[in-house]
This record gives sequence, C-alpha cells and structure tokens, in this order.
Amino acid sequence: MNPRITIENIPPGPGRGRGRGKPKPKGRQVDLRALEEVRVLLGGRPRRRDLLIEHLHLIQDHYGHLSAAHLAALAAEMRLALVEVYEVATFYAHFDVVKEGEVPPPAVTVRVCDSLSCAMAGAEKLLTDLQEKLGADVRVVRAPCMGACHQAPVCAVGHVQIAHANAEKVSQGVAGDRHAHAATPGRDLAAYRLEGGYALLRDCLDGKRTREEIIGIVDVAGLRGLGGAGFPTGRKWNLVRKEPAPRLMAVNGDEGEPGTFKDRHYLGLDPHRFIEGMLLAAWVVEAPAVYFYLRDEYPELRLMLTDEIAKVVAAGLAPHTQIHMRRGAGAYICGEESAMIESIEGKRGLPRHRPPYVAQVGLFGRPTLEQNVETLFWVRDIVEKGADWFTSHGRRERKGLRSFSVSGRVKDPGVKLAPAGISARELIEEYCGGMQDGHTFKAYLPGGASGGILPASMADEPLDFGTLEKYGCFVGSHAVVILSDKDDIKAVALNLMRFFEDESCGQCTPCRVGTEKAAKLMASGPWDEKLLDDLASVMRTASICGLGQAAPNPLTCVFKYFPEELKKPLGTW
Amino acid sequence: MTKLIVDGKEIEVPAEYTLLQACEAAGAEIPRFCFHERLSIAGNCRMCLVELKGAPKPVASCAWGVRDCRPGPNGKPPEVITRSPMVKKAREGVMEFLLINHPLDCPICDQGGECDLQDQSMAYGTDSSRFSENKRAVEDKYIGVLVKTSMNRCIQCTRCVRFITEVAGVPELGAIGRGEDMEITTYLEGAMTSELQSNVVDLCPVGALTSRPYAFVARPWELGKTESIDVMDAVGSAIRVDTRGREVMRILPRVNDAVNEEWISDKTRHIVDGLRVQRLDVPYVREGGRLREASWQEAFAAIAAKVKAAKPERLGAIVGDLAACEEIFALKDLMARLGTKSIDCRQDGSAAHPKNGRASYIVNPTIAGIEQADALIIVGANPRMEASLVNARIRKRWRSGNFPIGLIGERVDLTYPYQHLGAGPESVAQAASGEFGEALKKAERPMVLLGAGATARPDGAAVAAAAAKLAQDIGAVKDGWNGFAMLQNAASRVGALDLGAVPGEGGLTAGDMATAGALDALFLLGADEIAVEPGAFVVYIGTHGDRGAHRADVILPGAAYTEKSGIFVNTEGRVQMAARAAFPPGDAREDWAILRALSDVLGHKLPYDSMTALRHAMFDAAPHLARVDQIEAGAPGDIAKLASAGGTPDKAPFAAAVADFYLTNPIARASAIMAECSALARGTPMATAAE
Repeated sequence: MNPRITIENIPPGPGRGRGRGKPKPKGRQVDLRALEEVRVLLGGRPRRRDLLIEHLHLIQDHYGHLSAAHLAALAAEMRLALVEVYEVATFYAHFDVVKEGEVPPPAVTVRVCDSLSCAMAGAEKLLTDLQEKLGADVRVVRAPCMGACHQAPVCAVGHVQIAHANAEKVSQGVAGDRHAHAATPGRDLAAYRLEGGYALLRDCLDGKRTREEIIGIVDVAGLRGLGGAGFPTGRKWNLVRKEPAPRLMAVNGDEGEPGTFKDRHYLGLDPHRFIEGMLLAAWVVEAPAVYFYLRDEYPELRLMLTDEIAKVVAAGLAPHTQIHMRRGAGAYICGEESAMIESIEGKRGLPRHRPPYVAQVGLFGRPTLEQNVETLFWVRDIVEKGADWFTSHGRRERKGLRSFSVSGRVKDPGVKLAPAGISARELIEEYCGGMQDGHTFKAYLPGGASGGILPASMADEPLDFGTLEKYGCFVGSHAVVILSDKDDIKAVALNLMRFFEDESCGQCTPCRVGTEKAAKLMASGPWDEKLLDDLASVMRTASICGLGQAAPNPLTCVFKYFPEELKKPLGTW
Repeated sequence: MTKLIVDGKEIEVPAEYTLLQACEAAGAEIPRFCFHERLSIAGNCRMCLVELKGAPKPVASCAWGVRDCRPGPNGKPPEVITRSPMVKKAREGVMEFLLINHPLDCPICDQGGECDLQDQSMAYGTDSSRFSENKRAVEDKYIGVLVKTSMNRCIQCTRCVRFITEVAGVPELGAIGRGEDMEITTYLEGAMTSELQSNVVDLCPVGALTSRPYAFVARPWELGKTESIDVMDAVGSAIRVDTRGREVMRILPRVNDAVNEEWISDKTRHIVDGLRVQRLDVPYVREGGRLREASWQEAFAAIAAKVKAAKPERLGAIVGDLAACEEIFALKDLMARLGTKSIDCRQDGSAAHPKNGRASYIVNPTIAGIEQADALIIVGANPRMEASLVNARIRKRWRSGNFPIGLIGERVDLTYPYQHLGAGPESVAQAASGEFGEALKKAERPMVLLGAGATARPDGAAVAAAAAKLAQDIGAVKDGWNGFAMLQNAASRVGALDLGAVPGEGGLTAGDMATAGALDALFLLGADEIAVEPGAFVVYIGTHGDRGAHRADVILPGAAYTEKSGIFVNTEGRVQMAARAAFPPGDAREDWAILRALSDVLGHKLPYDSMTALRHAMFDAAPHLARVDQIEAGAPGDIAKLASAGGTPDKAPFAAAVADFYLTNPIARASAIMAECSALARGTPMATAAE
C-alpha cells in the first residue's frame, strides 16, 4: 500500500468562506512529506511548465486523487504559483482535487458514458443499477463519450473500458484488474515493414522524394482535415512551411466528439500507418518536435503507441524529429485545435482567439502544423497509391474516402470506410446491415453532437464537407448516429445540450451561460421557440470557438425539422 | 499607419491597434467588461462585438487587430460598423446573458451607482428579463481583509486574475473549474498577499469584488470628490479623496501615466480610518509630567518662554515625512529668524543632501522612464515595500523582456526575478566588474536604483558615492540618459531637500538633535519616526497621537494631507499639488498657519499672512516649485559630484528601510485596517476584527 496523505495532519487553511480566517505564516506552506512523495513520483522528469498535466497524472494515478498537500508540493517543486496548479487540476474531469478537510474519493471509480449512443442503449438505467449494486466503496459517475459508441452502453472501471456493459459485467470489472494494459497492435512494426511500410518515409529522409512532390500529391488527392474542419491538408502544409522556422507539429488525438471513434479504430488497427504519416508530415514542414496529444480515455492505445513509437525511433526512422506523447485529462474542448495547444503547454484548455492562427502562432508561440490522427493515417497510402487512387472513390461528384463512425439503431455499427458523398440512407443500407429489428429510421446526426440533427426525409443528402451547412448542419468528424422511432428527438437534443454544458470551458459568456440556460429551459416545460432561438443566435454569433458556435445546432434543428415533436412531452430512454 | 472606415468615417490608426482602440479613436463608444487597457486581452465577455464588413459574424473588437482586417472591395479600407442592427442585437444578447445569472441585488450592492454592468445595461441592454429560473449560486470566498467577495455577481471577466498575475506579480487569484462552474478564488481560499491587491476592486466591473473596509459605508453620489496626491510614500500617486461632510470616506486612484498609471497601493487606499482616530484636535501642554488640553495662547506662551530663554544654537527643528513644502518653508524661515542652523528633514539619517545638486537625490530616469531602461541594479532598496508603484513599473518593464535586474541587499520577493549580487557595500564596488557588470555596461540605458537601506546609515554618504561611481562606470550617466536614481521613502523629502531643510554650517543633523542634551528646544514638524531622547523641550506640530506627540511638551494640532492644500515633490522630483478635501478636526489648523501664528508670539513674525503670500515667498526661493506637474531635471554633473565624495563604507550588509509596509507613518499606525493587514502579513492573529 502506498502511504496516503491523511487529511487530519494538514492544518486547516485560513477562512472557509465565512469571512475572517486564521492568518497563517506567509509563503508556501509545503508539507515536507508530500514534497518528498511528489519528488519520488516525478523522479528525474523535467520540471518544465508544459509537463504540469503529465505530473498531475502521476499523482492522480498513484494516489487516486490530488490532495491539497500534493498540489502545494507539486507547485513548489515545479516553481509554479499554487493557484496555477489548482486552476489546471480543477479544469480536467479526470483529476479529483481533494481539498483540506474533504474525504478522498473511493479507490474505484466507474465512469458511465451518458452521451447519446450510450444513453440510447440504456445508460441511465445502468447508472441506477450500478449505484445500487456497487455500494459506497465504488464511485459511480457520469462521463462524456468514451469513443466506443458502437459497443454502447460503455463504462470505464478505473482505466479499463467495458463494452456492452451491464451491472454484472461491471461488478466483475470492479473486482478484477482496473489498470490499463497496452493493446496489441493490429499490425506490428515487423508486419508493417514487411508489407512495405516506412519505405516512403525512408525515401523522403534519404532525399529521394521532395517535399513539394509529397505536398503536390496530397493536394491533388484532395485530402482534408478529418478531425472535423475539413481544411485542405496540402494547403495547410504550404501555409505552415511559409512561416519561419522552427516550426512545430501537434497531432490531435483528442477524439471527443460524441459518436466518433474512427481515430481509435485506426490507431488500434494499424498504428504504424499513422506513425509513418506523422513522421512524413513532420518531415514536410521540417518540425523538430511533434507533440501527440491523445485523449485519456484510450489508455491501452497510449501505452501501445508509446511502445511502438519507441521501436520506430530505435529503428532509426525518426532522425528528423522528436515525438512527445501527451495525455489528455478529460476535456472535450481540448479537441479544439488551440485549446489542445494550451493543454499541451500544461494549461487549462481555453481556446485562443484567432487570428493569429495556429499555423502562425501555435504551440509555444511557434508556427504549428496541427493534424488529426486519421488525416495522417491516409498520407502514406495516398502518396504510394497516387492521388488518383484516392479520388477514384466518391459519389455525387465528391472525391475520396471517408471513415464514418456509425452508431445508434443500426444492425452493424462501427467504423465504415465509405466513399465521400455517400448518403445516410446508403450508409445504413449498404454498410450497416440496415436498421435494427423493430426500429424505423427517423432521424440522424450527420456529424456528432455539434453537427445538428436531420430527419430521415433528408437522408439522401450527400454526407460531405460544405454540403449540409445550408441546413444548419455539418458532417464534422463524420460521426453518424442513427435515430429511430423509439428515440425522442427532444430528449436527443437535450442530451447533446447537456454534453455541451458539461464541456464548455467557461471562458466566454455566450457559451458558458447559453449552454447551461438552454439545457435548463429544454429540460423544463414546453420549449419557448422564440426564447431558445434567441439564446441560440447569441451563442452562434458571439462565442469564441466552435463549441459554443455549434452547441445550439441540435436545438435549432428540432425547431426546423421536427416541429411536430415540440407538441409532445419530453421523452426518456 | 493603416486606413480604416469606422461608421462611415475614414481614420488612420497604427497597425498594431485593436479594432476597439481604432473605434475609440474614431469616436465610437465600445462597451466592454473584460477588456482593460493595462491588462492582457482576454476577449471573453463578448460585449465589444462590432461588425466587420466581410466577416460572417460580429467580431470581438478587443481581440481583433487592425492588421488582421482584410481590405474591402476595390482596395477600399476595411470597414467597421459599431451601430448596425447586427451589433445592437449581439450586444443586447450578450447583455441579457450576463444578466441571466447576475443577482438583482443592486440596492444592497456597494458597486451601485458606479457599476459597469448597471451602466452598460442601461445603455445597451433591454428593459426586462425573459428568464425566471433560479440564478446560479456561488459561495463567497475569503480572499483577505481588504477585498470582500460576492461571487454570485461575478461575470467571469478575469480582470482581477489578470491584474494580480500581470501587474501585481503575485499570482494568487485564479479561475478554477470550468463552464458554468468556473469560479474566481485564491488557492484554497487564502488571503491575497499583494500590496496592490485592492486595485481589483476598481477593476471589477461588477460588485463581485468590493472594498471590505468600505462595505455599506456610503453611496458614490453622496460623496464630494477631490483630486489630490498621496503621501504614504514618495511616489506621489494621483488619488481622489471622497468625502461626505467633513469626513474622508474613501480614497481611489486617479490616472497619471507618468506616476501611478491607475493603480495605488493598499496603504494609500486604506489608511482612511487612520485619518479619524488618534487625532490631535486641541493643543496640549505638559504639566507635572502629564499632557493637558490647553488653549492656543497657553501653548504658544509655554513655547515662547522656553525658546526665548534658550540660546539660538540650542534650538532645532526636524521635518517629518508627511510635511508639505509650504510648512517646511515656513519652519525653515522661522528657524533662520530664530538664529539656528539646526534643521533637518532626514529623520532616518539618510545621506541625501542638496549640496551635490538635485540629481543626486532624485530618481533621474523618472518613474515612467523606467520603461526605457534596459538594465537595472538595485542597491539597498526594497522598492516593493518602499515605493510599490515604482516596483510595479519595474515589473512592467521586466515583463516586456530583455531587462536584466541585479540586486545588492536583502534577498526579498520583488515580484520579478533578479540576480543577487551581494549583501552590502563591498558588492557595490565590485558590481561593475562582474558578469552582471558586463550586462550593465552592454546596456544602452542602464539604471542604478539606490535605496534608503544603503543611504540611511552612518556610512551612507560613502555608499551613495560608491553607487554614483558605479553609475558612472557602467555608463548610466550620459547625454540623453541619467540612470542614477535615489529612491526616497518620505513624501516630504525631495521638497524639503529642494528647500534646503538640512543643517547649515555648524548645525546639527536630525540624529544629533535627538540625542540627549543636544538642544534646549526642539520643533518636530510631524516627525514621528525618530526617538527624541530626554532633555530638550519638544514642540510637536502634527496630526496624530504617535511617538512625537508622546514625547512632546507642547502639542500643536495640525492638518493631515487630506485637510490642506500643499505642494509635494515626489521621488522623481515632480512637483505636485495636494488639495484640501476635508477640514482638520476641532481646533487643529493648517501647519503653515500655526507656524505663522507662533512666529508672532516668538517675536519673529513671518512675513506672509496668507497661503498665497507664503507661496510667493517660497517660489522666490525655489522657483521650480511653482511648476506643478513638472520635473526640474537634475544636472548630470551632480552624479560626478556625488561620486567624488568618496569615503570608505563599512562592511555591514544593507538592512531593510521599511520594516513594516503597513505601519510606516502615524496615519497608518492609527488605522485599524493597516494594523490588521500588518498582523496578517506577519502571520500573527489579531484579537479583534476590523470588519
């Protein structure tokens, strides 16, 4: 057993909000034992500011929470202001800050995903069941999407996810090993190299290919940012290359958009295809360092990728750059590119104002190429097979391949690699084995929580960038959630709004206040269309980042496309 | 310069301007909560939205640079509209959002009447709320004895966090949690320790952070407002004294970019209660070892008896730290007429002396000029405690980068990093040669900041000479730049030195005068920082029952700085005029008038019957004092003169000149608030609360 910091041995601080407090001596009050414990945990790791979140993880993992004494000790050890550490620790959902006088959480935490796909699969009932069954020794909490929507409902016991969860399975999980272990890569380094992997990278590093050539191919292929924004990749590379060196690269693996699990799929399936893409991009923009930010919900991938990247480095395949793994800590907003950069720098994930754009002033103030995992995954194939191969796919004048994360009421949910421009109906019929028995297709989410809701009558629209915007929707990360006649549309919109309320960073007024207010109004009584519409319009026009701007999309879609639903009372699952 | 069209009006502004600044330059008013000229840009309140032609949505003008605007069609300049229906709607929307969770407790809110939210709600909001749900409830936080919190009112603009982090340099406030749960607090609700913390009260655009000592005391519209000058240190911060009737209710900062920008220290702001208590409001005469109330005639008669009996050389006077130029001039005049050369304004024994010229005792680079310096060495000073706003200026300069700072003296927290070069005078001599010396020599405008910790000691003159020599050696004194700065701590000091309130030939210094048996009669003009040993007959002219009054044989009640018009010269040599905001209590009178009346009784009538006449006489003697708000620059040659004095300092390390920031003068020592701050700073609990 590790010695826990007991709450009793810490003197109470001045003032508990009741006015005058007992004054204490000036300066940082650092508990020497806590300081020693923090030093042991940190070992020889650098005490740099940008590693704050990593260091907080060490303490959280080891002690199960962040005690006030440990936070103070960490601040002293890293030479940071206490309040800075405190700000960061309280921002992320996976950190449990335990103040003086508070009781630490139980050793086991079960996180039950209550985002849409899981809610449709009975997350609420599971929550109640688990709270009854597991008792006081286990903390059962709600959590946002864990990226396993095709296996809903999902729970995480400690760090281990349980697919198709029920009370039985979770109880077993609680009794078993709650620590994550490295996943087995779908294709390991040897296998990947055997089928020609890393040859392209070698050629590039050896000067057999030029950067312009690679950019050209990617440009012609029309590869776009697949994290959701769809920015043309070749153009982005050119933009970043125009900025003065040193340039940095950041890889966005914070796949948090509810309904999205494609990055996870590809990372597990063929990690080296992604790693090669990452190293190619770093070579193209001449980035001496790459920061790979992976969400905390995928610990088995993080462990695996850490190993695989080490193997790649050992094989001499990354002489041109240094790869830093960074671990998220439970914040959807960190999937926003500038918020992710803040998080990599060890700060709260508050989106930045643009301009300046990340390509100009990004990570540590340097011009930064930021790319989504899947975008990089396709680079090798596109270059090797040629732009024509990629553009040969597609329907309705769209070109290329898209990975749809499909979940909800279909027979065979999962990641579906389909031609760009495919419609939702085709996706269901051709790729997902049709609707589940007893369910009639009623509506769908084209792009996760923020992409809006469209009725089945509009299911023949091509699903691609720049198409659904005219309907107040977008395809984003291509997370398609299929809804049926058993799903109440108002409940769906409320579920999504609550997600945004929980995940709003709180920086700007429209999003902070709007998401909370909208959720409250949507949960109570009949929906006041004028009022909610006004709320939505302020959020859309005045929020700093995409979260606040897109948060009202599902709400406004209900008014636009499902007017008959407004008359019904709010449903549940 | 970049061209821009704002509301149809074409203007030219620097490219680095934000749209907000550009709009203001064009005369358009832009509402804002989070934006503040002297803080970093947060862009979070979204109140300052404007329409930018070509942008799909309104943009936050505070966070959008003029250079980021795309030109309009046909090469027309970018166009900004601040009054379109789109802007009006956006502002109304944001305003409504801000009020969704803001309590309607304006009748009991101390911000009422001077609240940005109230004002902007009037100007840009709608007339009613459409939301009837419960508002967000946030627990109030304890963040110290000076700032009261009402966190329900907070609109999360983070001005306070940015001020404490950026300007004060003591990052103790933060925004914890996220989303609607975001709250402003100190780490685990400890008291803030910054000596500038109360400025967050002024910065808070709502009533979330209000002044704790001023809680429920007055409404802004019932207060008389007098613009004046602070005397708590030698910075001479611009203040506004708010009074109700004859009572000072509060003190606020005024903007003076040359001096305090728009900040004041907590001491400047919160000594208000010290102006009311411990006041001397009638003359006292000591009889049989005890002080008794007396009439002015009795008091004057008692003085006259002693003074007339004494030999002139057995008379002396010490000028205190809070005296204005007028009374110093009158006192010096009187002493001269009485035939004594013993007068001194340096209670602390400082080596500052007018014989070397003005440049030898002022901050020559000026306070604003610190921002032009490119290297700094601090010698025996703790600017944070001695001149908080000079320290804030140094920090501001440091934040802009490339500013090496060295310190010789006590290792103290100055809110910016520095290289510690030694503890005492020896290090001063070596400073020019070391590694840091090279950095100083490389600098184009290096600065030497010499404090009282180095000059107010027996070998002070030798230390000052060494520091002056250092300034010469590193090239701090040259054409267009005089980087030598002697930091003064007393508001009266530079003015008194300008007027020559130092011992003449054969006269005694303050320290000598206070020695037992040195004099027969000693006048203390508010001099409370010096212990006068037994022997002399002491006449104390001052405001508070402090050390001087306790020692006195006759007490003549004077006027505090808020109760008289007076000229003060700050540490950079800037002449400033304090204005009368209230009247002295009881029988107390303005100090110059007391001296004038006394001179008559002593048979050496001072030749001025009015303040105007006095000032005329004073301006004849020191013409630069007539030039209010200006600095009479010192001659660069003065530094050479100071350096040439030579001498061998001893080896004792420099000690702090200010032992307790909150208790440096009689007004502060009378203040319960200051006592509480002092106790909190020392970490000792107080028995009584001053709330």
